[in-house]
Amino acid sequence: MTAETLPLRPDDRLVMVVGNYGSGKTEVSVNLAIRAAASGRHVRIADLDLVNPYFRCREARRLMEANGVRVVVPPGAQAWADLPIVVPEVLAMLSPPAGTLSLFDVGGDDVGARVLGSLRDGAIATGYGLWQVINPERPFTRDPDGCLAMREAIERSSRLSVTGIVVNAHLMEETTADTVLRGVDVAREVARRGRVPIRFVAVMEGLADDPRIRAVAEPVFSMKRHMLPPWLLPAGEERLPAGRPVPLGRRNGAHGTYRD
Amino acid sequence: MSKVLMKGNEALGEAAIRAGCVHFFGYPITPQTEIPEYLCKRLPEVGGVFLQAESEVAAIHMVYGAAGAGVRCMTSSSSPGISLMAEGMSYIAACELPCVVINMMRAGPGLGGILPAQSDYFQATRGHGHGDYQCIVLAPASVQEAVDLMTLAFDLAEKYRNPVMVCADGMIGQMMEPVEFRTEGRGPPMAENDWALTGCEGRPRRIVNSLHLAPEQNFACNVRLKEKYDRAAREEVRFEVYGDERPDLLVVAFGTMARISKSAIDDLRREGRRVGLFRPITLNPWPYARCRAAMDAMPVGAKVLDVEMSMGQMIYDVKLAAEGTRAIEFFGKAGGLVPSPDEVAERIRALLP
Repeated sequence: MTAETLPLRPDDRLVMVVGNYGSGKTEVSVNLAIRAAASGRHVRIADLDLVNPYFRCREARRLMEANGVRVVVPPGAQAWADLPIVVPEVLAMLSPPAGTLSLFDVGGDDVGARVLGSLRDGAIATGYGLWQVINPERPFTRDPDGCLAMREAIERSSRLSVTGIVVNAHLMEETTADTVLRGVDVAREVARRGRVPIRFVAVMEGLADDPRIRAVAEPVFSMKRHMLPPWLLPAGEERLPAGRPVPLGRRNGAHGTYRD
Repeated sequence: MSKVLMKGNEALGEAAIRAGCVHFFGYPITPQTEIPEYLCKRLPEVGGVFLQAESEVAAIHMVYGAAGAGVRCMTSSSSPGISLMAEGMSYIAACELPCVVINMMRAGPGLGGILPAQSDYFQATRGHGHGDYQCIVLAPASVQEAVDLMTLAFDLAEKYRNPVMVCADGMIGQMMEPVEFRTEGRGPPMAENDWALTGCEGRPRRIVNSLHLAPEQNFACNVRLKEKYDRAAREEVRFEVYGDERPDLLVVAFGTMARISKSAIDDLRREGRRVGLFRPITLNPWPYARCRAAMDAMPVGAKVLDVEMSMGQMIYDVKLAAEGTRAIEFFGKAGGLVPSPDEVAERIRALLP
């Protein structure tokens, strides 16, 4: 499939991205938000990660806003508190107007998905996508059993049902085509046994052109890496004014920010 | 062994088990909570004990007890929680018991914030609790190094019968990196010894105690500890040098700040500048002689830049290493702000001729 495809259908209006810690939910969410906005959709993304203190999508807030995405996070310094804050706008996002995409970047594991329980009724009324991001390079989801156990735990705590699988097999900078293909194999088994479709296979842009990955039957979503540690920040990147966010990443094109 | 993608905190938890840790006592605090979270799942699987204490004060004293009973044990916390552990650490050091303490540093002082910092350097390297004692302090700069240092931490704790602190900033605890574990399964138990309280049936009783009312007796304890720390200073110094061997500017940095400095140094070397890095891995004992040797290898007039995620703490050790032979410049940010590679590079450029 062509790597330029944006793997969103017009009826994907309310999408919640879940999965275990380190599966890459945030990277997938940020990329989806930016690309959906570029395609002309109104996009709102809520950072619903209430369990992770760093590397949440709020760190890429300025980048997303510069790309026309509305980012819903706790106001001011509260964005940097380790408190489970859900702002009222999140509730409004449960009923997206026509042409609008509401994207929820949810925290890791069943613990992180618990917040969705409070949004359950609204999500069901609107119709939702609950996408489980799978990365078999992580300790507890190395095989289909682990992925299915994670799904069950997430469904139990969110009281919602997984509707699709996003394959995001990666080992950070050490990801190879083999890593991705191994992940696709695991995900296919999860999809078959769990009776949910694979929505797309997410890969970093450098790998999307690999012939073996182009040959994958499922849609391939080519991503840029936005969530980066400070030593990976691209050299010569435009400097932010003093007192403003510290740039987050290096060596991979577009940048995220460490704080806003 | 194949690599697995792990968050620093989880990797530290797994590494502790593979180093033989069977008892963990702790209390949650951001940004280290994934260590107890991981261990509460994993320790029961390997026949270990996980116990969430009612506070950090309780946790460190549980470690005191477990170490006294001769089991490989550990606690972890972040800056304010480590402050609470100061009293217990002093008792453990006084009683010459082995244990490992992880400090995943966050911004301070006070409650501060949850973002990364290196501002507990004074606390870690200068004893931190009361009395004449020290901790051996290891400072990893990556998740893999954190994993590798955990085995060393338990070994050193036992070799010196002293607390070993693994001192990292929150970035290392929170970031994901591929890691490789070099051993399988639960590590070895504590070696047979002649001090652990294991039940005195059939042998003379042993006493673990830090109360020495007679000054001569207390002084003897002080001297014994000092001899131990001197021995560690001779045998346990660890460091890394990076970049040019005869640089026009030497950066001294540890942990995450060293990693960021490497990116800056790479950029500057591509511009043809001669820049090097000296990275202490043991923050105590500090590699004074090796840092001094790196400075002595530099051309006359070459500069030294100490870079920290603090307002300047390790700089005093860099100055001790230089003994007045070089002027030591400083660049740092604190409060949870992390200097970027570009900022470090800019500061270096400004100092170079």
